[in-house]
Amino acid sequence: MDYDEKEYIMLNRGRHNSEHGVVTEKPGYHARNKAKNVVIAILALTTLFGAWQYHRAVLLRRQLDAQYNRAFYEMAGYVQDIEVLLTKAMLTSSPQKAADILKEIWHRAELVSTNLGQLPVQQGALVNTQKFISQVGDYAKTLNGQNVKGQVMSKEQMDTIKNLHQFAVSLNESLDKFQGELSAGTMKWENLAGEGAKLFSKTDVQVPQSISNIDGTFENMPTLIYDGPFSEHMTNQKALGLSGENISEDQAIEKLGNLFGKENIRNIQKVSDNKNGVIDTYNFRFELKGKKEASVAEADVSVVGGKVVWFLYNRDVGDVELDIDKAKEIGKQFLDKSGFKSMKDTYYTEQQGIATINYAYVQDGVTVYPDLVKVKVALDNGEIVGFESKGYLMSHRERDIPKPAITEAEALQRVARKENILSSGLAIIPTNYGKELFCYEFKGKVDDQDFLVYINAITGEEEDILLIINSEEGILTM
Amino acid sequence: MKLRRFIIIFALLVLVTAVLYPGQAQNSAGRISDVQLIARAINGEARGEPYEGQVAVGAVILNRVKDSRFPNSIAGVIYQPGAFTAVSDGQINVPIDPNSTVVKAAQDALNGWDPTYGCLYYWNPATATSKWIWSRQIVTKIGKHYFGK
Repeated sequence: MDYDEKEYIMLNRGRHNSEHGVVTEKPGYHARNKAKNVVIAILALTTLFGAWQYHRAVLLRRQLDAQYNRAFYEMAGYVQDIEVLLTKAMLTSSPQKAADILKEIWHRAELVSTNLGQLPVQQGALVNTQKFISQVGDYAKTLNGQNVKGQVMSKEQMDTIKNLHQFAVSLNESLDKFQGELSAGTMKWENLAGEGAKLFSKTDVQVPQSISNIDGTFENMPTLIYDGPFSEHMTNQKALGLSGENISEDQAIEKLGNLFGKENIRNIQKVSDNKNGVIDTYNFRFELKGKKEASVAEADVSVVGGKVVWFLYNRDVGDVELDIDKAKEIGKQFLDKSGFKSMKDTYYTEQQGIATINYAYVQDGVTVYPDLVKVKVALDNGEIVGFESKGYLMSHRERDIPKPAITEAEALQRVARKENILSSGLAIIPTNYGKELFCYEFKGKVDDQDFLVYINAITGEEEDILLIINSEEGILTM
Repeated sequence: MKLRRFIIIFALLVLVTAVLYPGQAQNSAGRISDVQLIARAINGEARGEPYEGQVAVGAVILNRVKDSRFPNSIAGVIYQPGAFTAVSDGQINVPIDPNSTVVKAAQDALNGWDPTYGCLYYWNPATATSKWIWSRQIVTKIGKHYFGK
């Protein structure tokens, strides 16, 4: 009852006022008042929203800083470990203990590297530090391999360890200093460049002193040469497969004409002269009138000797019409035509209707895996859509292949699953430190898993084991 | 009426903020393979570039993995803080069609095509002013990018 009465009065008020012509409030007052309220409400909500976002940003910043701190402190801890372990390595007399210590160093170096790569520093600011750590780990790994075989470290190797130890000590000192600034709050991660891709920024950001101090430790780092991928000798390799006169741009175009047929190349233009790389080349762009519609292709021709180093012809591939054997044959014919004789197909991948086939050079029945060429064959019409010969050009030469020092039967005795071996042959395999190994190659199968075992044909050592992965995408080794 | 307008304004406000925060981009299901990861990086870094330039960006990533001065995994290199704009602007999270050109470029890079001959850096000469990046030795120029060591 109460409620109804109230409602009645409210409903009648408006009518009552207008009836008597008595206006107690200015027209539009209610509307303006409401608008004001709405504005206040929006402002309040925006402020709240802003405050909430700010709060979130602070939380995220804190989380991020915690990640950076963890990475830094972990890294600093592992560097201390490495310093200690390098001292121990200098004090050990047995190869077994040395191998243990070196393995530890290698392991710690990997962890330092992982954490170092997570710090938000400017591009290039800690490259020397990263390189030092990579080399320490790599060197320790190489020495570990040697000690495992029972070989004690030489005087020279001991000197190198001593030297590396001194650098580790200096690195520790500069990391300590940085840690001091970090915990005192004078250095904040957000102030360090690198966060948010400063590479393309308009202004140059100075690398903070404490960071450049860390990296400066390694300015006079001596070059390290040893059997490992990060050894200095790996950075200045020469292209052994290239020889002859320097050719001109026109001669380079002619080389491409020989390969694709002059009439198929249109609108060719040189895009760049490539220098300072491992191979100096002319880079071309042209339209290739292939079996399908004309499309843009790109290719490099070496200045020395005028070899086509690679080319790519990207086009959509239609329905697959060819099988892999036909593609291998087409690739082989292409190689013969391009002057690559005595090549044997090894592995291949099949992706998006394109087969990428690897061919290795064969000398006197020995498969030379470092001399590698890759050919891409479109499986719709058999057109060659890509070619790459850098591996071949870097390493190819006629080798003096020695007579094996052990017989195949002797080598087989060193294979774990002798009974599962299906075929064998001789091969030269590459290592990640630039050397080549002359081996017996045994191919076998265990529980549907194809594998390859390489036994050194001179020393009889087991050099490598590869698994052959036979998938929808082709045949690959791992 | 007023309330409705207010709701509309507030909705717009929320919408604008949502647009300004694309951070939580959609994620495709399943494990992202090396090919996908490199393809996404190429997509974010060199989408409009010639095919060769796309392969080159993939090659730079792989050259870094093999270099002592950089992290030794593909993810480690791509997600190194500040290393690639595709990561900081979120482009790396955009899923890629398995048949797209950038996937082919990633595969070619993984198969060993390297138009940069071992380069570790690339930059756009029109926008890069970092003195340090200009001190790199230039090997080649592809499309808009300089590639250097």
